[in-house]
Amino acid sequence: MKKRISLMLALILVLAVVVTGCGNEPADDANEGGEAGQVTDNPAKSRDGADNTIILGMEEAKGEFMPVYYSTSYDGYAIGYIFDTLLSNDEEGNPIPHVAEEWEISEDKKTYTFHLRDDVKFSDGEPLTAEDVEFTYLVMADPEYDGRYFSKPERLEGYEEYHEGDADNISGLEVIDDHTIAFTFKEAESTNIWECNMGIMPKHYYDFEKGDIDALKAKMQEPLGSGPYILENYEPKQFIEYTANEDYFLGAPKIENLILKFIKSETEIQEAEKGTVDIVLQAVTTPENKEIIDGLDYLHINDYPNNGYCFLGWNLEDPRFQDKKVRQALAYGFNRQEFVDVFFKGHGQVCHTPISQVSWAFTDELRENLNEYEYNPEKAKQLLDEAGWKEGADGIREKDGQKLDFTFSTFQDVEWIDRLIPMLKADWEKIGVNVEPNLLEFNALSDLVFQDRDFDIFSLCWSLSIDPDSSDVFHSKEAAEGGNNAVAFKNDKNDELLEAGIKEFDPEKRKEIYEEWGLLMNEELPYLFVYIRDNWNIVNDRVKNFELSPFVDPTHPSVVIEMELEE
Amino acid sequence: MGKYIVRRILHLIPVVLIISILIFTIIKMAPGDPVGSNLDPRATAEQKAAERARLGLDKPIPVQYWEWLKRSLKGDFGTSYIYKRPVKDVVPTFIKNTFLLNVVVYFFAFLISLPVGIICAVRQYSKVDNFWTVFSIIGISMPTFFFGLLLIYVFAVKLNWCPINGMVTPGKNATGLARVADVLHHMILPAIVLIIGSMASYVRYTRTSMLEVINQDYIRTARSKGLSEKVVIYKHAFRNALIPIITIVGFTIPSLFSGAVILETVFVWPGIGNVLMEGIRMRDYNMIMALNMFFALLTLLGNLLADVGYALVDPRVKVD
Repeated sequence: MKKRISLMLALILVLAVVVTGCGNEPADDANEGGEAGQVTDNPAKSRDGADNTIILGMEEAKGEFMPVYYSTSYDGYAIGYIFDTLLSNDEEGNPIPHVAEEWEISEDKKTYTFHLRDDVKFSDGEPLTAEDVEFTYLVMADPEYDGRYFSKPERLEGYEEYHEGDADNISGLEVIDDHTIAFTFKEAESTNIWECNMGIMPKHYYDFEKGDIDALKAKMQEPLGSGPYILENYEPKQFIEYTANEDYFLGAPKIENLILKFIKSETEIQEAEKGTVDIVLQAVTTPENKEIIDGLDYLHINDYPNNGYCFLGWNLEDPRFQDKKVRQALAYGFNRQEFVDVFFKGHGQVCHTPISQVSWAFTDELRENLNEYEYNPEKAKQLLDEAGWKEGADGIREKDGQKLDFTFSTFQDVEWIDRLIPMLKADWEKIGVNVEPNLLEFNALSDLVFQDRDFDIFSLCWSLSIDPDSSDVFHSKEAAEGGNNAVAFKNDKNDELLEAGIKEFDPEKRKEIYEEWGLLMNEELPYLFVYIRDNWNIVNDRVKNFELSPFVDPTHPSVVIEMELEE
Repeated sequence: MGKYIVRRILHLIPVVLIISILIFTIIKMAPGDPVGSNLDPRATAEQKAAERARLGLDKPIPVQYWEWLKRSLKGDFGTSYIYKRPVKDVVPTFIKNTFLLNVVVYFFAFLISLPVGIICAVRQYSKVDNFWTVFSIIGISMPTFFFGLLLIYVFAVKLNWCPINGMVTPGKNATGLARVADVLHHMILPAIVLIIGSMASYVRYTRTSMLEVINQDYIRTARSKGLSEKVVIYKHAFRNALIPIITIVGFTIPSLFSGAVILETVFVWPGIGNVLMEGIRMRDYNMIMALNMFFALLTLLGNLLADVGYALVDPRVKVD
């Protein structure tokens, strides 16, 4: 017996070694298959229970299945299938009707009145009414509420009276009748419309005594909403199973069973290849993965720019960075295009201004007038000379006893940083600028940047919201300690435009404001904007109509309803 | 013996307190705090400060420790910032999954390694011994990450014998025996990785410890008395060789409950390793404290059990 076991183990080991030996070949095999015109069997079709079921692979959701409490974007997707919001949006990020079939704005622009459809029902059959919308906001205004969305009701009139006092409701939230609700904000701001958008929670199911938020949280993993899918089963760290809501107000989804399977980047390609998932959401964008996907004729990629950008922030309180010419010189002096080409192999692009390219605010005029700071070391040197920075004995430029010798505080074990450092160092060296990396763990970096403000240059990525407003990152009031404007960018024109952008309600005028602001950012360079990567969803060919874009996520009504399987 | 155990348990109390102070201080001194993960990353400075105050993170560390100690003694380990639920509700499922895998792993690892180790010692430098020496070295040095992916590639992707990852098949909703079979099926590959990895060191331990004993005078005496080789090896030598092995078994007890981060990542096994790892990354203080104290207690108990075990197998060890 013992011998047999040892024999078996020996066999496994030998087999393992043999397989490693020919580990390089599968891609070739697949290519050969393709050239010969053979159609490989699509393994997803023969998977057990594949009919009428789509398995969507994504990173883990933590089980925060409540609109007012979720914090990861994956939990956001998980509840996006279960709950409906007043509004939806088009591809450019404009609000469009969803549960609210129409809405109007008051004269003073402070009040939004929404008219709700009367045919929306929660999955237990109860109708969705204006009271449920009000309830959702009362949860976020509760004195004991400890989620992250308190700023939504905070902007409403009468928030303090409810949150701190003993008011029974928020005066700025008025239920006019069963299907009409009005939101009155303290300030007239055009971004307020998005504050009215929150997954609507049924009052009759979630109701609790004001202050007894634990009673509500107890239902965190038994969600009940009006959405296209109903949660059937949740296995922590493994998957979520849904069935279609046959009575969905936009019509039952075509796919009866939906499974969100939590996958890891290490094996996502294998899962797509073997058909254990039909879709990999946000796969790793490497040329190696592309090669494998291209070699399998039953997979394709849904490709679009990611809704966010990565940048190097420079400390504008440091006199060396205060001269705009120095910042522009550093931009001209670093070949960002080459970095993007080398790192993304065509699946990313250089970022020039912090506005999403698909947004309504990213106009053609803006696109045409952006300075791309094409790599030009001569121009960089010239600008530095003009600014008075002369090369010292060691080749590093200096002025008034200061040197262009920077510490670059950045995070460890992040691939783009690993590639960026040598390229940045080599390019800047040519224009007489030295940079030394200081690798930190993420929390340490975040403290250094946002609390201590003790850096020359740091790196980070921001995601972009659906509205082009970026006051929370660039306004000078955020330059205080702990604020998001860690680089301390203070520019009167910037503040003025950001404020004007929020105050303006006319879409055409807003476009003009953001065009000017986008160009100002591009000119002033509060950051060295580096790149916008692509997002890849690997989709099995048997899935039809699964097309995402920056503002269209997998739970967007158009995707959920139209998504179907090939006959 | 009973007195000894009681005394040892009493000794544990100050040790546990010191450990808790150390862990608490270290994690509080690490940069960052859970406010980032609890709030929108774009929250303003005032919002962050208010949240910090609400979580009691603005108080001095000794005060925070005292408050933690008071409620922990009452069995309240606080709420996990990541999962937004009480730690004691979140943790059991994951510990159960880890335990399930580890029980199988250690059972087979010991079942195979002990006899193999003995054979290797008895037939030192024979072909069998050499084979296992090479095997052990490969087993110890093979990175989990690489070995796991290799097994997935061969047995899941190419041969189609096992699922790629996970613990149960999504959409299957099996119950009863069918579910047990499903879980076992998913367990094969991760278990092989762990068994081979841990077996290697157990074989080496058993072998070394046996060799030491076999060369002792009393074994020669036993042989010269004319006892059969079987009796000499299994009765005289093995029992003495067991002492260091018991230490290992003692140390294994906490490992039964502690997860393997890399393995859990590669095989998407819903164990506790990644929960703790993520807790540390996101500074989920309540989670880190609860888990670390649990592991510390288990380690101490494992040591205690090992010491009691010595007394049982080694008459030279006097405990009273």
